[in-house]
Amino acid sequence: MPQKNHYAFVIDVARCIDCRACLVACSVENNVPMDHTRIWVHDQGIQGNWPYLSHAFVPYNCMHCEHPPCTEVCVSGATYKDKVNGLVLVDQEACIGCGYCVAACPYGVRYIDQKRGVVDKCNACLQRLEVDLEPACVATCVGKSRLFGDLNDPTSEVSIALRNAKSVTNLDYENGETDTDPNIYYLNLPETESILSSDPFGQVAQTSLPRDPHYTIAEQGWKNVAIPLMAAAMGATFLVQAIFFTKQLLEGEKEFDE
Amino acid sequence: MSHKNIPLPERQRLRQKMYKKHNLANILTHWFNVFSWLLLLSTGIAIISSPRLGISPLWMQEAFRNIFGGDANLIRFHYTIGFIWIFVILFNVLVGFRKYFVPFAAKRLLLDRDDIEWMKTKPLQMMGFMKDKELPPQDAYNAGQKIYSYFVVLCTFGIMVTGPVMVFKSLFPPIVKQIAQPIHFVCVFTIVAWLFIHVYMGAVFPEEKEAFFSMFSGKVSAWYARAHHEKWYNEKLKEEMEWEDKIEQEVLQSQHPKEESSGAD
Repeated sequence: MPQKNHYAFVIDVARCIDCRACLVACSVENNVPMDHTRIWVHDQGIQGNWPYLSHAFVPYNCMHCEHPPCTEVCVSGATYKDKVNGLVLVDQEACIGCGYCVAACPYGVRYIDQKRGVVDKCNACLQRLEVDLEPACVATCVGKSRLFGDLNDPTSEVSIALRNAKSVTNLDYENGETDTDPNIYYLNLPETESILSSDPFGQVAQTSLPRDPHYTIAEQGWKNVAIPLMAAAMGATFLVQAIFFTKQLLEGEKEFDE
Repeated sequence: MSHKNIPLPERQRLRQKMYKKHNLANILTHWFNVFSWLLLLSTGIAIISSPRLGISPLWMQEAFRNIFGGDANLIRFHYTIGFIWIFVILFNVLVGFRKYFVPFAAKRLLLDRDDIEWMKTKPLQMMGFMKDKELPPQDAYNAGQKIYSYFVVLCTFGIMVTGPVMVFKSLFPPIVKQIAQPIHFVCVFTIVAWLFIHVYMGAVFPEEKEAFFSMFSGKVSAWYARAHHEKWYNEKLKEEMEWEDKIEQEVLQSQHPKEESSGAD
């Protein structure tokens, strides 16, 4: 069955005033522990040269990538890209909270809920989508900065917003075989270079998203050392056994062999 | 002691005479272990679905998830069987700890000089050299079986520790759970690598046929014991003779209870 929906967030950076109502709505809706947030607003600080100053706030949450690096490392498939709605989800009953995926996410949208021992992240309020409601952050956004909808549907709010947009930025990460194709489309996002070049008050919490996916030592050791080693060991013993078995078959059974 | 120059009637007697090698608890534990491993290994391989690791084929992942009703249920089944397995194995070890386990480990599993010699000769013979050299006599388990048992005990311990770490996920920090997974994997597949040899030697290899049947009946013939586990055979022989002496004396005593004191003078 082909993917039915192509859900995407469209976030108009120019409309965000950093009120953080979305954070509260998300925490309440999804019962997120106090010391974590599934979504956050990044303060880019004051930019530009006098008198052409600007101050932008960039809301973030899971990008629900088309090709997410986080699901690739999950050992059990506890985190996966849903085949029907295309969202990147975590099955917390299967998840053991090892954090391979937390390291691998180029956008840092995942965290480990140590109390439950599982990984948690934005699920686009799947429980609300199922009853035809928007995600909590979108529903609560006063400035209409956050939009959410199905890109497969040309009449949806996001499709229309993208068609009418003057500037669309997609924080794509491309490196070798990894190409995330994230599903948050930022409207009116200022250039990242200008952020780094001018930081007069030193208040820019520097973000360099997307970052390189990080693979934990355990996972790399498993992939690059343990698997070849075990394959060699099993190959060797299987070969020995196979040689003797073939020899045995060629010689045939003797009734009085001892 | 070469077994080639034995007169026919003696050979027949040796073949018919049976010695007990495994007790019922061991036999049952062995087959319980086999059954558990079949379930655990297949579900375990199916669980590992990371395309980066690429261990199980996609059809297998999907088949097992469909059979058990999803990822979480498959994992639940795996660790439920796993806990039963841990319980039974540990229970058997602990119940017989002082009576069986410690003496077994101390007497049967340590390598002696003959074992070292065996390990030098046997691999060469397997490759076709030194065919005419006599192998040193072996105990109830030969050096190969002893080495195998070291790996099995160590790896079983590794599996039993790392498995629950992943199940009781809220008790352990992420770094521990990260490392537990490859260790679990390595322990399992180290045993699987040895299993190819173990299954072949135990069930298919013609010279060890009796070993296979002994895993059901618990008994091996004196002929087999003499040829493959000579030290153990001699031990058994000695035990048997001592037992016979004891019986003989008891019979004598019961027949002539008063004569003994006078006979000793």
